[in-house]
Amino acid sequence: MAAKSGSVKKTAAKPAQDSKKADSKKAASGSKKAASGTKKPLSGQKKADAGAGKAAPDDGRREKDAAAMTAPAEVARQVSAAAGPDFGASENFCNREESWLLFNGRCLSEARDTKIVPLFERLKFLSITQSNLDEFVMVRIASLKDQLHAGYTGTDIAGMTPEMQLSRLSDKMHDFVSLQYSTYNRSLLPALEKAGLVVVSDYRSLTDAQNAYLDRYFEEQIYPVLTPMAMDSSRPFPLVRNRTLNIGALISDKKADGLGKKGKKKKEKEKLEFATVQVPSVLPRIIELPDEGDGIKTIILLEEVIRKYIGVLFQHYDVVCCSAYRVMRNADLTIDEDEAADLLIEIQKQIRKRQWGEVIRLEVEEDIDSRLLRILRKEFEISDDDLYEIAGPLDLTFCMKLYGLPGFDAYKEPPYTPAPVAEFMGGEDIFEAIRKRDILMHHPYMSFDPVVNFVRTAAKDPDVLAIKQTLYRVSGNSPIIAALAQAADNGKQVTVLVELKARFDEEHNIAWAKMLEKAGVHVIYGLLGLKVHSKITMVVRREEDGIRRYVHLGTGNYNDSTARLYTDIGLFTCDDAIGQDATAVFNMLSGYSEPDRWYKLLVAPIWLKNDFLKLIRREAENAGAGKPAFIRAKMNSVCDPVIIEALYEASAAGVEIDLLVRGICCLRVGIPGISENIHVRSIVGNFLEHSRIFWFHNNGEDEVFMGSADWMPRNLDRRVEIVFPVQDEKLAQEVQHILTTEFEDNVKAHILQPDGSYEKIDKRGKTLVNSQQLFCGEAWAKVRRKPTPVEERRFTPAQAAADEEDG
Amino acid sequence: MAVTTFAAIDIGSYNVSMEIFELTKKSGLRSLTRVRQGLELGSDTFALRKISMERLEELTKILLDYRRIMKEYGVSGYRACAKSAFREAGNRYLAVDHIRRAAGIEIEVLSNSEQRFLGYKSIASRGEEFQKYIEKGTAIVDVGGGSIQISLFDKDSLVTTQNILLGSLRVRERLSPFEKETIHYDRLVEQLIHRDISNFKRMYLNNRKVENIILVGDYFTNLIFQNRNDSSKTESRETFMKWYDHVVGSAPKEIAEELGISAEVSSVLIPMAVLYRTLIEELQVETIWLPGIQLTDGIAYDYGEKKKIIRASHDFEQDILEAAKNMARRYAVSKPHSESIARTARALYSSVRKAANLSQRAALLLEVCCYLNDCGSYISLVNVEECSYNIIMSTEIIGLSETERRIIANVVRYTTKELSAFQDLRSTEFLTHEDYMTVAQLAAIMRLASALDKSHLQKLEEVSAARKDRELVITVKTSEDFTLEKGIFEENTDFFEEIFNLKPVLKMKGGR
Repeated sequence: MAAKSGSVKKTAAKPAQDSKKADSKKAASGSKKAASGTKKPLSGQKKADAGAGKAAPDDGRREKDAAAMTAPAEVARQVSAAAGPDFGASENFCNREESWLLFNGRCLSEARDTKIVPLFERLKFLSITQSNLDEFVMVRIASLKDQLHAGYTGTDIAGMTPEMQLSRLSDKMHDFVSLQYSTYNRSLLPALEKAGLVVVSDYRSLTDAQNAYLDRYFEEQIYPVLTPMAMDSSRPFPLVRNRTLNIGALISDKKADGLGKKGKKKKEKEKLEFATVQVPSVLPRIIELPDEGDGIKTIILLEEVIRKYIGVLFQHYDVVCCSAYRVMRNADLTIDEDEAADLLIEIQKQIRKRQWGEVIRLEVEEDIDSRLLRILRKEFEISDDDLYEIAGPLDLTFCMKLYGLPGFDAYKEPPYTPAPVAEFMGGEDIFEAIRKRDILMHHPYMSFDPVVNFVRTAAKDPDVLAIKQTLYRVSGNSPIIAALAQAADNGKQVTVLVELKARFDEEHNIAWAKMLEKAGVHVIYGLLGLKVHSKITMVVRREEDGIRRYVHLGTGNYNDSTARLYTDIGLFTCDDAIGQDATAVFNMLSGYSEPDRWYKLLVAPIWLKNDFLKLIRREAENAGAGKPAFIRAKMNSVCDPVIIEALYEASAAGVEIDLLVRGICCLRVGIPGISENIHVRSIVGNFLEHSRIFWFHNNGEDEVFMGSADWMPRNLDRRVEIVFPVQDEKLAQEVQHILTTEFEDNVKAHILQPDGSYEKIDKRGKTLVNSQQLFCGEAWAKVRRKPTPVEERRFTPAQAAADEEDG
Repeated sequence: MAVTTFAAIDIGSYNVSMEIFELTKKSGLRSLTRVRQGLELGSDTFALRKISMERLEELTKILLDYRRIMKEYGVSGYRACAKSAFREAGNRYLAVDHIRRAAGIEIEVLSNSEQRFLGYKSIASRGEEFQKYIEKGTAIVDVGGGSIQISLFDKDSLVTTQNILLGSLRVRERLSPFEKETIHYDRLVEQLIHRDISNFKRMYLNNRKVENIILVGDYFTNLIFQNRNDSSKTESRETFMKWYDHVVGSAPKEIAEELGISAEVSSVLIPMAVLYRTLIEELQVETIWLPGIQLTDGIAYDYGEKKKIIRASHDFEQDILEAAKNMARRYAVSKPHSESIARTARALYSSVRKAANLSQRAALLLEVCCYLNDCGSYISLVNVEECSYNIIMSTEIIGLSETERRIIANVVRYTTKELSAFQDLRSTEFLTHEDYMTVAQLAAIMRLASALDKSHLQKLEEVSAARKDRELVITVKTSEDFTLEKGIFEENTDFFEEIFNLKPVLKMKGGR
């Protein structure tokens, strides 16, 4: 099978356009710098004026004017140098969307890693890059498009307008898609074939037996669920749903045959109609073909089968050409929360609208007929920037299905079973175990079961009065939801905050929230204007010595499915101050005023950002005073400009800052005088790095926090987030060990370079450290160390009753 | 260990809050949770003299929610107290009834003195710290939405407590029509409060130096002083003034953003700041203590005390007696006379207490009656009983409930005047049958006690009383002519007998 070349957008005039854009960008950034130069560091400029004024005022002015005309950026740099570093200057930041694309690039690099990553794991990564990109387009690109339509010309932290960003992102995404498909075509397909899996890309190459099989399969399975739709003057262009795969065709009426040469020509010209059929999502995308006896598994994609039989769908027509296509629509919910009387109803309305959002991306097969493409582009109003001509099957998420095919275990990572949590193996009930000491769980290395058991036990425990929980994303058949409903049924006071605005989970969340409400649970449907992202559960229990609150705080969602894939950390505690704060969080979520004070938790919005700033500045002060100072933190994204500026200031003051940022990082490293002490790495491994840990040295009195918040404006300003201290010294050391190990990882880590790119570590001559693998081993070693108090089994023989002693 | 879970609800002028406590003999009070919601009941009452249906519905919703939270903590008892917004509302009884039916919560509308007493109890619950402050001249200032209460302490005891009808919300409402006409809003507030403060200073301060001020109020007070991290905090006058300049110099919106509160709430903050500053300046205070307590602490403390879970570290009854004595002094009541009456009254009370089922609290009320018995003569020698009644009814004694004050005023009134019928007192004085009986019993005791010092010459050297069948034998020792007293005593025995079913018999030891 010949590998197809990667796809690129066909834009002949692009280079000229690009250079023009680049020039205008340069000019824009230059003028911005000049503007900031005249605006911000005024004192520096005054000083320069005064200095020059002494010798030759005119010359000095001329020199400055000349500089302003020729190199404004240079002037700005000089001026700001005189006033001290301008930490907030736009050139000190990366654009967040580009940084996100780099993250997806790191995922793609896993799919391309032929040395370390097993073949089928690479398929999985390729699929992930596709679903990631889809979401990125539907949300982030959509948002930029919205800004553009609204005439917004403001710049982001990196100094780019929405227009500039869209143009650059389009180029980068086209390159990215090219790389995805060259990976698929050139690297994965041949390797799969070697491994005994053939993906048929053209139905014309099928054997007779395979054809016979598909004839039947199409007739029985596929045909009944297909709904072809045509467009002509009486039928408008049909609704093409977001993200669905479709086959578009041009068809001509067979009746026009026999009209002679002239008539045929006329028919082609006038009677070519557009028709489309959705590739049904209810059927499996991959179809396994019968074994040919050679031990090779052969599969074909559903759309290829439909293409094979497309003529059947349009019986009175000739199919002139057909091609698969897919559209992506603006799926960013825009809810006017101030106006929304009922958030639930408003979200339901918007979800329906999502299917009708503006089309912002069109993917077609690269060999599409130009007439068909013209119709699609016209109907969807697609520009060159948003058109993707794909060199392979559209929507690579089917690779995840390939991953799931049985029989290729040798090409996959051996499945990992989470280790049980040692502290809960002692035989005592869960509450007793938590009373003994705080308990830390590192998922997915350790089992998530204790969290489910916590809610389950609470639901049945007669001493439990109330259960409160925030839920953001839960699994399809969540045992936690079932336990909560059971608790309400058992007469407990159950309060659940369901975040309706969890993107793409809205519909799912509404359904089970209603179910919980029916079961008697007090359901709070999120907060107006804020997303509740915190992960907290509280159980109120009446005990002999009074009310005790058991709290679980986590960095990840209460989702038993993702808890097997995401690295998260959870903490059980019954610390009274945390219990008080937890209560206050739920009160706040229930619509009551915030508490007069927080004892131990750091809570967003309102407080968290300031708390972080204080912690960062304390390190800076310590460094300034010559004391040891460092910050080690791990999170998913860093893009809050205020936090980044504080980090720059701390770095400039001498604080060593090590960050582990899986995704977006708008911070730049290695800027002289600004970020030389900041080091950023990203781990993309078999599990999705998801935990957030913040470790501040505090002059030897180390403080470790964990939580649900990233250093992003959305987390710090527009969400309810909880960051909690790890107070138990032993547990704090465990968390420090996690961070330290991840900073030693040289297998899966990518290091951020001063130019904004990421590079893997040169492993030559080094002992390989794969942190995720190490944690798997450690989790089981911990259990093995713990003696399980199983009662000694002893068989006791029955004995005859002792004879009474003779008197 | 017996653990009681109790909810204290405070229905204020602009807030409704609830705090759930755990009470144990071992550890006293432990706050489990506190919830608060903004609801400007006071805006209705202070402007319309009634609570609107709309606000009542909002209150119902909040209280229904509170009931749910109570269940979450397995609460076994609650007390919901409403303050001036309810107290001054024309439809208060209807409102209380509405809430009872709609939310299932029984609201108790506190009199000002009851409210302040609870506030005071909550401060006293801070034990040693409180004792330390009140050794010197100290004023407890409680600025609420409807009024300000100033209680003056010196040398460990309460000198006086006065209520000024100018709270932060009331000031905001009253000044809102003129607010736009001046850029010196703070001066308007100062002028509004000036007269009351000067009167207070003139009448009660004399040469007393007020060194400390204890600021109580609601969560606002803590908010003002950024008292987020400390439960108790001391501030200097300079620090306060710095803060004051900042708040008064900023727009409510800026303050709201800074403190993370709503703009509406912050609009109450500025009048409150001016009220605090005026008081601090006028009283020339040096130190400001923020005990970080709220009314709910007092409600819970009171509950714990009544249920004998908590033992009070401060003698509140002594405060009541001190306040009564101070009042007597102000109205020039003869101290030897009132002490003489008190001695006799105590003896009589002890002898009839069991049979008449008189409470311990009645003994305290009786003692207060003794001190205030003659205060009306300061106004008029002709109509002493009515004047005494009016003085008592218009003077607050912190620690006494509205009903208790009414009982005392009526006891004093009917010590000399013939007791009116129950029906009359029920309609004019809102006394229950039980209260009426207390008035009658205490008045009967007071009549005899008063008779035995009719001449105000303290002729009694000793007095004791003992029951003997259907007689109460009162043995007195005197070396002076006791004819007048004896005669008056005889005149009052019938009333006593009617009330206690015991015939008082006077037995003389010595004397003539």
